[in-house]
Amino acid sequence: MEWIKKCPVFFLLTVSGVIFSIVGIVGSFSMYRGYGFQVLKQPFLVLMMEGIDKGVMPWEACGITIPVWNGENGTAGEYGAGQNIEDLAEADGEDTADGTLVAAVDKAAGIKAADGTMEEGDAQADMQEEALSETAAEEPVTYEFQDVTEDYFNDAVFIGDSRTVGLFEYGGIEERADFFAKISLTIYDVFTEPVAKDEETGEKITVEEALSKKQYGKVYLMLGINELGTGNTDYFMRHYTEAVEKIRQLQPDAVIFVEGIMRVTGEKSGNDPIFNNTNINEKNDAIATLADNRDVFYIDVNEVVCDENGDLIHEYTIDEIHLKAKYYEIWKEFLLKHGIVKEK
Amino acid sequence: MTAFTGMEFLFRFLPAFLAVYYITPKKFRNTTLLCGSILFYAVGEPYFVLLLAAAVWLNYVFASKVERYRNHHKEKKKSTIWLVIALVIDAGLLTAFKLSGAFLGTGILPLGLSFYTFKMISFQIDVYKGEIKEVPAFQRTAVYFTMFPQLVSGPIMRYNEGIMAANEREYSWEKVEEGLWYFSIGLGTKVLLADRLAILWKDISVIGYESISTPLAWLGAVGYSMELYFDFWGYSLMASGICVMLGMPFILNFDHPYAAKSIGEFWRRWHITLTRFFRDYIYIPLGGSRVGDSRTMRNLLVVWLVTGFWHGGSLNYILWGMVLFVLILVEKMWLWRIFRKVPFLGRCYVLLFIPITWVFFAITDLEQLSIYLGRMFPFAGEGIAVNPGDVVKNLRMYWPYLAGGAVWCVPAVYRFFEKHRKNPVSAVITVLVFWMSVYCLVSMGNNPFAYLKF
Repeated sequence: MEWIKKCPVFFLLTVSGVIFSIVGIVGSFSMYRGYGFQVLKQPFLVLMMEGIDKGVMPWEACGITIPVWNGENGTAGEYGAGQNIEDLAEADGEDTADGTLVAAVDKAAGIKAADGTMEEGDAQADMQEEALSETAAEEPVTYEFQDVTEDYFNDAVFIGDSRTVGLFEYGGIEERADFFAKISLTIYDVFTEPVAKDEETGEKITVEEALSKKQYGKVYLMLGINELGTGNTDYFMRHYTEAVEKIRQLQPDAVIFVEGIMRVTGEKSGNDPIFNNTNINEKNDAIATLADNRDVFYIDVNEVVCDENGDLIHEYTIDEIHLKAKYYEIWKEFLLKHGIVKEK
Repeated sequence: MTAFTGMEFLFRFLPAFLAVYYITPKKFRNTTLLCGSILFYAVGEPYFVLLLAAAVWLNYVFASKVERYRNHHKEKKKSTIWLVIALVIDAGLLTAFKLSGAFLGTGILPLGLSFYTFKMISFQIDVYKGEIKEVPAFQRTAVYFTMFPQLVSGPIMRYNEGIMAANEREYSWEKVEEGLWYFSIGLGTKVLLADRLAILWKDISVIGYESISTPLAWLGAVGYSMELYFDFWGYSLMASGICVMLGMPFILNFDHPYAAKSIGEFWRRWHITLTRFFRDYIYIPLGGSRVGDSRTMRNLLVVWLVTGFWHGGSLNYILWGMVLFVLILVEKMWLWRIFRKVPFLGRCYVLLFIPITWVFFAITDLEQLSIYLGRMFPFAGEGIAVNPGDVVKNLRMYWPYLAGGAVWCVPAVYRFFEKHRKNPVSAVITVLVFWMSVYCLVSMGNNPFAYLKF
């Protein structure tokens, strides 16, 4: 006892360290399997920390709840009976692609993300233009892009990650359009994250709820860079297609713009095994196939922000990923040149 | 492994080293410390460890020569010559690397070079002046130069401050506890405050300086001032904490600088071991402030030029040194009278001007620097695509760290915590801070793009 009084910090630190290590060691056989752990470089307690980071709490070591996340070494039983084999295979792909990045992306609640949510509270969504199209269903009519003015955005909503957050903050259309955007938003959690705001109560609501409450004329979607480390293109596209279908369902009259993912600079692309333009282009090619030019349109802002090599122009960015504030104007101008107007 | 905040260091090297150190019989503990330090450095710098070894050996040889001749009146000159040779080599080594970094863009600076060469210079001068009574044995000298807690980023401890004789150090559970406390608190200061605030600064740069609102420019300057302080203070606490665990005295490197009542005082409280180095080895030998106004001015100018250059080769650091030179000059000439009567004004002066000086320190590109300053003082014109709501957004995101940081800048808060560190509640808080820091490090380490979530 005397000794403990003499060095309480040493005592508490040692005891807790030992306990955390035991949790890590025990968990490494069960819930922390597949974490990509290096025994020589890391202490076992790191596993516990990683687990908490991924929402796997230490007390789950008792084996009550086994998280779906733990795909790589998991058995079918862990996924619940409802899921089909194909999904399982995809989940495996998700892990093997890069286990650590899954967490990075999943972790939406980081300091930045906590308040990074952007929403337009009281956009005077002008619904006059709403009844734009009631096209004849039988004749597949396609539409061409045309120049529009800024009031085109009055009944638009933008859904996306940090890039779209940037457009909200610096694009100069935040007064007109609604924005459901958040840093590190992905196609996997786009409908479940509370990134929108209820216009009446001011409460945070999910995109699904928001799209159920209000009808828009245009829905712009740019997602996909955070997902680069997660799963292959097929897996990504399955979710992306589902998302588009869901938007279609919730917004039967809206024009849906699926936007190509904005590329990164050549320097970034050349040095990054995951966040590079090869991967982005692969996803973009897949996204482009969703366009039917009737009510779903593919637009690619890379046409105006990239150099002749197809890399994001160096001067446009500091961190090689995001446009500097003053260049969001280019994106807006691009959108204005790519309006779809359906005459009655 | 050379980063104190790495998992390898925290949970592999440090505990293992401490265990071996304490198992080793007292009189051999310097051997353990030397081996551990070389290992520590060699992992980080497998090639430049040879440079370090060469510098240690040369400095030992030179110091022996300086000592041999220093007490003979007739041969004093020889002592001086050896001193000059040693200083030229040490300072030359540092200058060569810094200049090649600045002008050739090599960007190569051996780990800790700025710090260990300064220890070597101080050692030579202290031997020359007789403050180090006799040059210690080679091993002890080598331990002083290379001891791993201070090798990478200081503090620049004087030889006489540390207890370099292994069997004279104080080994006890109390020392281990005390050192561990400093270490944990330092870790928390760095990880929980500095690393978070670093993201604010990064965010601002991503926007592009021309597009930030004036309030955000100021918030950024304040945030960066805190970040820099907590980063370096936290690091210094960790380094000194390890020294205490090894049985040595605590080396004070930061003494709550933002509580200073003048910029001069700020610099006596900021990076104390470095400021003291410049004072004792440059400013005072030049005559200090006892030689009339114009020469005092010259001495100050020299000190601040060197300070600027030491911090980095590029021009903004020189500019930063010059800004401080002017501020301190103005203070020394006129303002001190006012500050002495109304200390409150002095505090305001510090809190207003120091963040501005840190902007010069932070932004290495001069054009970008001028843009940033233009946003802080928007007399010359408006920014481009400024979002006036940006400051509110960032305040919402970062207020816990800014508020926590502001509280942690108050000396009384730290002192209260330090005084009651053995209180059970306080001990629990310390341990929580430690594990929360580890948690943050793990979750950030998992995500190499921690600063950039898209």
